[in-house]
Amino acid sequence: MFDKEYSFRGSHAAKVIKLTASFDQKNNKVFARNFDVYLLAPIVGFMYGRSAPIDRENNEKTDIFPDILIKNKNDLMFNYRLIMLLDKDYEPDFDERINKAFRYYGTEKAQPDEERYDSYVRGGVDVLYEKIMEGAKKPDDYLKNLYDFIEEFEERYNSSVSTDSILNLCKLARS
Amino acid sequence: MLLKNLRLTNFRQFKGEQLISFSTYPDRNVTIIMGENGSGKTTLAQAFTWCLYGDTDFEDKSMLSKAVALNMLPDEEASVRVELDLVHNGIEYTIIREQKYSKDSSGNLRRPSQTTFKIAFKGADGQREFVPDLETEIRMKEILPKELSKYFFFDGERIEKMSKEIRRGKSKEFAEAVKSLLGLSAFTAALNHLKSRSPSSVIRSYDNSYDAGSDVRIAQYTKEIDELDDKIDAITRRLAEIDKEEAIAQDKCDELKEKIVKFKDSEDLAKEREALRKKLNGLISSKASSTAVLLRTFNNNAQQYFAKKMMKDALQLLSEADKLDKGIPDIHERTIKFLIDRGSCICNNKIEFNNDAYKALMKVLEYIPPQSLGSLIGQFVRDCESKSKGGSSLFEDISEQYRIIRNFETDYADVENKIKLIEERLVNMENVGLLQKELINYERRLNYLKKERDELNIEQGSYETQKKLKIAERKELTLKDEANRKIEVYKAYAQYMYDVLLDEYTQKETETRNQLQKTVNGIFKHIYNGGLALSLDENYNVNIIVNDFRGYNSDVETSTAQSISVIFAFIAGVIKMARDSQNDENEMLVSEPYPLVMDAPLSAFDKTRIQTVCDILPKVAEQVIIFIKDTDGELAETHMGQQVGARYLFDKKNEFETYLVTR
Repeated sequence: MFDKEYSFRGSHAAKVIKLTASFDQKNNKVFARNFDVYLLAPIVGFMYGRSAPIDRENNEKTDIFPDILIKNKNDLMFNYRLIMLLDKDYEPDFDERINKAFRYYGTEKAQPDEERYDSYVRGGVDVLYEKIMEGAKKPDDYLKNLYDFIEEFEERYNSSVSTDSILNLCKLARS
Repeated sequence: MLLKNLRLTNFRQFKGEQLISFSTYPDRNVTIIMGENGSGKTTLAQAFTWCLYGDTDFEDKSMLSKAVALNMLPDEEASVRVELDLVHNGIEYTIIREQKYSKDSSGNLRRPSQTTFKIAFKGADGQREFVPDLETEIRMKEILPKELSKYFFFDGERIEKMSKEIRRGKSKEFAEAVKSLLGLSAFTAALNHLKSRSPSSVIRSYDNSYDAGSDVRIAQYTKEIDELDDKIDAITRRLAEIDKEEAIAQDKCDELKEKIVKFKDSEDLAKEREALRKKLNGLISSKASSTAVLLRTFNNNAQQYFAKKMMKDALQLLSEADKLDKGIPDIHERTIKFLIDRGSCICNNKIEFNNDAYKALMKVLEYIPPQSLGSLIGQFVRDCESKSKGGSSLFEDISEQYRIIRNFETDYADVENKIKLIEERLVNMENVGLLQKELINYERRLNYLKKERDELNIEQGSYETQKKLKIAERKELTLKDEANRKIEVYKAYAQYMYDVLLDEYTQKETETRNQLQKTVNGIFKHIYNGGLALSLDENYNVNIIVNDFRGYNSDVETSTAQSISVIFAFIAGVIKMARDSQNDENEMLVSEPYPLVMDAPLSAFDKTRIQTVCDILPKVAEQVIIFIKDTDGELAETHMGQQVGARYLFDKKNEFETYLVTR
């Protein structure tokens, strides 16, 4: 995982294509690249509790080349570890979740975990599409939707999480 | 001239034979013919001009009733005929114009034949006689010349144009027409007979009867003088043309200048709009770049921002479970592997495969470098640390950037709105630049004409001098010969008579003109009581003068009502004068009164003016015939009730058939 080509398929490919399309004459796009969707989607999918199976309804497909995945492997691994550590529904035992996050990656054992991770990627694509693209007709709409989405997220989750609290926890963990 | 009957046969929508008898009673001299728009009022008015002069203003030149044409069989013939009974100079005339139409064998209408024109009259013995064909045109001219007719048969739509012509004294013909109406034409005819460019005029005929035998130079001079006359004439004609062209160009200049002043704002507005459009483009690109900044911020920091809560939760779990640091300081994997290989620990305990010591040491391996779980978790914690910093300000940053973009939108809408307002104002304005260009062209034309006139005047002056010289020289030669000397004497008599007559004429003409001015003014004031007066110059130009400063509101532009009042006053004045002069003892001034035939003339007036117009017309004209739409007609009838002698109605059956019925 994260070192060979990745493809969005079916409806998810269609949504990713729209999320990365220019919406105004100045060539502005909500997401600059497929990779940027791929980087954010699993987080959003997990936070909104949305996962989705691979859509094989049609042959649509859009790819991310391996070089960009390899280059950004650390960021992708970070996502993977976060989800593995926090997905209690998937694995109730914390020690086992730690193993999934730090030990099993890249082994046979990690196959279902990686599958789980990908389903969050797809669920996240669905959420991003619903939040940002749906109902937008003119350039201003995309921007407004994006802003509303961030604002909603801020109110729902981030307003209660200060950067300082994270930094304190980091200190605590290291001591 | 009094109109008695008009008989129409298949003329346009008047199918079959239809007769209309006009009231000729002196005290009830008004005939009113009412009909809604499109029922045939204009057609009936045109029937007069077609009958008298053979032309109409219709676009469709076919006079034949469409209803008749439709029912004609192949090879069948039908004719259109208009007969007008009138009395002129005590003689009863019938003017007849007829045109034959036929269909070819396949049922298509052929091109109509030429119209035939006949004038019948009752001779002294009461017998009906026809004016010989060759003389009909001339006789018609005597009864009512065409150029004059439009002032007696006129429609409301042309009225404004006519008033402009009158006010501008547009053509000499018009002045001539007025003079002839006022009985001055006998004078002008006598003057022309004595001295004009025609070779048959008295003085010219003397010029040509010099006996050239005495001296060949006399004939030579006469020829040269003739040539000079031709040149002078040509110049005179061209000068008259220049006058006309100049008047048109001047009109156009005035009109354009007025428009330019009126639309001066448009230029400023257009500039303002341009500036606003630039601003709008600026806003569009600023907004686009701000959007790009926002999206870059989002793309660069989205992961860090959205993962914040997850980071906190994960760190919390890890710290609570105390999973973070279970390593032994400064102990490396190599140390443990050495102890296992040695088989005994530092504390001397035995290490054997799968004994307790072995298991404990293997566990330690998980927490010490290089591949320890602890260091992996440590790396994860460091990632959390840096990422939480990276995503910390995303919401604030994006909020601020979005606010800037929203401001652009407000500014944009504001500017766009301003542009829209300007455009709304510009819609009805003409492009001043184009107007200016047009004005320059006309001014250039005016200058050119002025230059041409100056040159022509100089040229003409030199020809005149040459001519005088040659006349003097010829005279010197002719006096040497007995016969020629006689002619010279006759010529002098003729010249003397001409001078006396001209003197008399000028005096009479001035008197008549002053009288006309007075009459016209009297009527104008009655119709249009707005502190304005009319004046007539020697070319019968009508000028509107403001003679009451209290009522003067700087708006000299004539309104429609004013224009129509001018023409009414003028025509009524001319007719009144002509009528009055009939009783004049001075037989030199004879004239014939004319009727007034009007098509829908009242629409432009308000109710009070309608009343005054209705009051005046039957008094000044010997006969009034009005075609009018229902609403105006009722008003007219209320005001003219006593004077109305005949009433008709247009009964419109369909687009192609209208019948005249008495009411």
